[in-house]
Amino acid sequence: MDRQEYIETLLDHYEHPRNRRAIEGAEIDFTGGNPGCGDIVHMFATVDKDDRITDVSFEGDGCTISQASASIITEMVKGKTLSELEQMSYETLVEELGSEVVAPRIKCAVLALGTLKAGAEEYRQKRRVAELQTQA
Amino acid sequence: MMHEYAHPETLVSTEWVAEHLNDPKVRVVESDEDVLLYETGHIPGAVKIDWHTDEQDQVRRDFVDQAGFEALMASRGIANDTTVVFYGDKNNWYACYTFWLFKMYGHKDCRIMNGGRAKWVAEDRPLVREVPTYPRTSYTATAQDTSIRAFRDEILREYVNASGDRALVDVRSPQEYKGELLAMVGYEQEGAQRAGHIPGARSIPWARAVKDDGTFKSADELKALYEGEGVTPDKKVAAYCRIGERSSHTWFVLTYLLGYPNVKNYDGSWTEWGSLVGVPIEKNV
Repeated sequence: MDRQEYIETLLDHYEHPRNRRAIEGAEIDFTGGNPGCGDIVHMFATVDKDDRITDVSFEGDGCTISQASASIITEMVKGKTLSELEQMSYETLVEELGSEVVAPRIKCAVLALGTLKAGAEEYRQKRRVAELQTQA
Repeated sequence: MMHEYAHPETLVSTEWVAEHLNDPKVRVVESDEDVLLYETGHIPGAVKIDWHTDEQDQVRRDFVDQAGFEALMASRGIANDTTVVFYGDKNNWYACYTFWLFKMYGHKDCRIMNGGRAKWVAEDRPLVREVPTYPRTSYTATAQDTSIRAFRDEILREYVNASGDRALVDVRSPQEYKGELLAMVGYEQEGAQRAGHIPGARSIPWARAVKDDGTFKSADELKALYEGEGVTPDKKVAAYCRIGERSSHTWFVLTYLLGYPNVKNYDGSWTEWGSLVGVPIEKNV
């Protein structure tokens, strides 16, 4: 894609966000933000017993890139396992979004992925604690 | 008696802009924090100047040089005698920043659209996606006017614990001024190694200069605000924030709305000061 096509894709996701809704009772339910520019994303995901993401969504407010990226991320990670999510690199995401376009706003571009990864880590930790409590 | 702004011609209304959309001597410039906001729709005929990619040197931390600024003007069809009207998101932070840059390179007729992009949108005025093209111009900039730009050594030498004929204004939020970390999960304080403020700086957040609709407060209200904090027109004043965008807003208020003759924007701001080794910092005050 050329620069203009990347911009068009980002604008499409910003103006017509995919999976912009809350998921009640989601295993992953985590909020992240960039204090520098006021972007906020709240990421939700349901996870099955095989650690696979069966549904994923977001809510949020902020600049075009942060919100478009959140929408794109939901399409990228649905059906992936938590391990695959954790292995997704920020560089891969930036390439997907159009590195030249989002370069001035890398923090905004990776906010949703970082938040989702942090949410996944929190979910795993909670589960480990629950397992230990069950064993005890 | 009600006071007028010192330079009322530098502030234009959305109505004025709407009436001058087809004026060949007027160029409307959108400068936003949100890098793709212009692409979602902009004032008809407006050109975009990105504060990061267009205004900054892409290697050194500095603005484009004189030749770079001249090339930028030529590319946007701006001539030396063009009336340039700036507007943008975030209460015109980057519109004021770009205005300040234009003034540093000697552009004569610069104006701010009062209320910025938000007011234009709130009034249901038209936005278009079509990117205009204008014939290239031949533009001659002046050397950078550093009488409106402060550098760190000058701040260290003349504005730390400012008193007498100097005043230093920190326009960030009170939380940034006090040095409290922002507690957004997963993101530590961005941009500097240390938190706090330059000793002696008065905390006057930029937002205190605007009304709820984003337009500037009256001259009387502004005068009371700044003079009430000891920032008076007889002093040499410097303003700073995080990277110099919000302090451009305050610089505009002090210089053009209140007519202070000696105001500098310290664009290195906290991202520079808060990472310098050995400079004084005040915290929790």
